Amino acid sequence: MMGSRTIKALVIAATIVALWEAVVRLGLVNQIILAAPSDIALAAAKDGGLFLRAFATTIMEIGAAILIAWTLGIGLGVVVGSLPVLAAATAPVLSSIFAIPLIILYPLLMAWLGIGPLSKIVFGVLSGFFPIALNTIDGVRAIERRYLLFARSVGATRLQTYVRIVFPLALPAMLSGLRIGTGLVVIGVIVTEMLASLGGIGFLISYHRTLFNTGHVYLGMVLALAIAVTVNIGLTWLDRRIGLWRMREQAEG
Amino acid sequence: MPIIEVSKLGKDFSSGRVLVRALADVSFSVEEGRFVTLVGPSGCGKATLPQSLAGVIAATSGEVRIEGERICAPMPNKISMVFQDPTLLPWKTALANVEFPLDLRGVERTARRKRCSALLELVGLNEFANHYPHELSGGMRQRVAIARGLAPDPRLILMDEPFAALDEQTRTRMGHDLLDIWEKTGKTVFFITHSLAEAIYLSDFVLVMSPRPGRIIKTIAIDFPRPRELDIIGSEAFGRIRNRIWHLISESPA
Repeated sequence: MMGSRTIKALVIAATIVALWEAVVRLGLVNQIILAAPSDIALAAAKDGGLFLRAFATTIMEIGAAILIAWTLGIGLGVVVGSLPVLAAATAPVLSSIFAIPLIILYPLLMAWLGIGPLSKIVFGVLSGFFPIALNTIDGVRAIERRYLLFARSVGATRLQTYVRIVFPLALPAMLSGLRIGTGLVVIGVIVTEMLASLGGIGFLISYHRTLFNTGHVYLGMVLALAIAVTVNIGLTWLDRRIGLWRMREQAEG
Repeated sequence: MPIIEVSKLGKDFSSGRVLVRALADVSFSVEEGRFVTLVGPSGCGKATLPQSLAGVIAATSGEVRIEGERICAPMPNKISMVFQDPTLLPWKTALANVEFPLDLRGVERTARRKRCSALLELVGLNEFANHYPHELSGGMRQRVAIARGLAPDPRLILMDEPFAALDEQTRTRMGHDLLDIWEKTGKTVFFITHSLAEAIYLSDFVLVMSPRPGRIIKTIAIDFPRPRELDIIGSEAFGRIRNRIWHLISESPA
């Protein structure tokens, strides 16, 4: 049985779609600017298979880029953050690179890595890596010395100290980096697909835009949005879990 | 053989370009099973000594022997540390925090759970095993830290001002309970405090340290019979000892 909130949401959604359709059908807005819901449905019926394949490509690229950006960003952040001299030398360099609009590097990446998924993944990683690494470094540097003394006194190995003590203590600070970085990965992959590629949702949006297939463009946008929303739900879930620790840590400190 | 033997221990820190001499020529020994307390003026390097004893920092000169073995690295099976701040891991329950040192060492789960539940009971927290640190009071957190210190069944427990952050009442109560735990477990305790009353009430011996560079200027035996009641703190004999230590500390050049 559906709850009353679900029913309400469905009614609102149906009303919006109906109004939207009406606005376009009545000619209040040019069809090239705004596609009617029925146009999007038609596009899906006609080229649905193509879009699903592109959707899979984009998900693969984003998934791979997130995985690599997290691994590199957190790994490097933990190591650099726990070596004060290295952190002092590296952090300013990383922040300056983070301030550069990385998209200017994309022509180079394309020349090196080709027009396929690899250049998108690498650009996605580049986009997400810096905020993740920087926040991880900050999180690790903020760990109080007493925890490291404790780790030594209980005979924790270096690996145990990193994995069992330093990493979880730095997690709350890491989280803001993960939020920014992961968002940037999604943007980076889709934008570079739109710039130059042979596949992916970004490519289809860009391609159909040049043909004025507005229904197809909107279908692509809906799919891209679906990815962004899913990623955001995942991050919010993570935020809640880690937010709980942060609360505990504050109470403890 | 004494359990702790410290001879001519020195420790220098470089703070920027300034060389700070925290400890100079510290020598003393402690017999097994004793409760020994170090007191001294603030900034006398009191905190440096337990860290050197535990091997978590390296001495500049001299040596520390625990059960005859020279200390140059932490010996977590023999020596535990309890800090002023409980340093509990905020994402672990009280029980999991107590288990942590054994967990690191790969002690099998049921064995460590059994041992650590018993330790939580010893410190009076068996009902709080599944609470997280932020759900416990300051005193309770420190009890968890003490239980965690006992978990590896060490020979020696070093306690660096463990009750300094607690309010007066909790602090007195904790001292009383610590003596109880000490009598039940028979561990050697090396305790640091800046409270003279706490030092005298708890200890078999009080070591008095000079201002920096820290040296042991006097060892005072405390002969009150055990088990001790809190009443002794008001006694005349207690006051005399406190005055004596007070003069030793205040008369040494600051």
